[in-house]
Amino acid sequence: MNYVLNDRESAKIVEFIKNFARKNSLWVLAYGTGCGAIEIPPTMTSRYDAERFSVRGAATPRQADVLLITGYLSVKTLKRVIRSYEQMQDPKYVIGFGSCTINGGMYWDSYNTIKQLDLYIPVDVYINGCMPRPEAVLAGFAKLQELIGRGQANGWRHYKENLEWYRQNQRKLIKNWKMPDYNW
Amino acid sequence: MADLTYENKVILEMREHFRDKIIETRVQRERRVVMRTSKDNIESVLLFLKEKMGFLHLSHIGCVDWMEENRFEIVYILWHPQEKINVLVKVDIDRLNPVAPNIDYIWPQANTYEREMREMFGIEFEGLVGPRELILEDWDDLPPMRRDFDTLHYVMENYSFRSGREDAQNVREVIANRTGEEIPEFAKKYSR
Repeated sequence: MNYVLNDRESAKIVEFIKNFARKNSLWVLAYGTGCGAIEIPPTMTSRYDAERFSVRGAATPRQADVLLITGYLSVKTLKRVIRSYEQMQDPKYVIGFGSCTINGGMYWDSYNTIKQLDLYIPVDVYINGCMPRPEAVLAGFAKLQELIGRGQANGWRHYKENLEWYRQNQRKLIKNWKMPDYNW
Repeated sequence: MADLTYENKVILEMREHFRDKIIETRVQRERRVVMRTSKDNIESVLLFLKEKMGFLHLSHIGCVDWMEENRFEIVYILWHPQEKINVLVKVDIDRLNPVAPNIDYIWPQANTYEREMREMFGIEFEGLVGPRELILEDWDDLPPMRRDFDTLHYVMENYSFRSGREDAQNVREVIANRTGEEIPEFAKKYSR
């Protein structure tokens, strides 16, 4: 694109169109951790019907745009989450559900769940609640769309730029580090 | 008044057959019989219950950590499908040298429970086959379900909290203070 449209204004317009397209086709990875995953079926199916807001499911990480961390995340699952997240194509977004991802929630003194999700993967939107109801989930998606539209949901870029810092936090918990290196 | 004839019959029969090898027997309530035996006799007791008394189903194996008394208590919960009665067989093992007999030749599903106890309490079962990791991954600390494993200390060492988190608050009081409400005397005993 750049060699055709090299002046600034045109690039802006292209960016606007790109963001418009991105925010109106959010494919959510069919993956759930913890108890919040139970709120996803009503959100996606006929009662709340998230597809009205252009949110729908995707089967594999490579097809998905949005990764939902639905509730508490154990260290064992964190490993799988990191692998799924790194396989996803840019641009990609993360939504953290519930108080567990924000600050440990009711599992705050558990030896095996993480307390702050954004130390390990970048989070664009947090939805609070324990658990958030489907209305809150839809509000979270609306917020994410708003951020994408404004070009502010840049967690994936932040992750690439600060990979060292994230890796350091991840390695602190995952002792036996046998993860593939993806280069994007 | 509940009819406890079968419960008492179980106890009588076990007493008769095992005599002093059964240390303690009682009917805890309707359809629940508790008995205690020693580590050496547990296999024969369980086999007898299964083959002769008809307690065909092993529901669960649990473990209790009696740290102060320096013992682990393993509880085998059996179920009689016809008479609808549970039997709890308890065994004490030494906490410092936790070795228990393996019973997965009696009930194959015991293998999973024993692997879980091996991981969570550090109890070794003689001749137990199976991967050492069941639920945890790369765990190199004390077995986490032991009571001398300090969970809070582990959490504070390995994780960090966002500021602003305050735990163990009296929710009722916090809400009342926010609005200047006075908690009536009778309601105080319900708030923590």
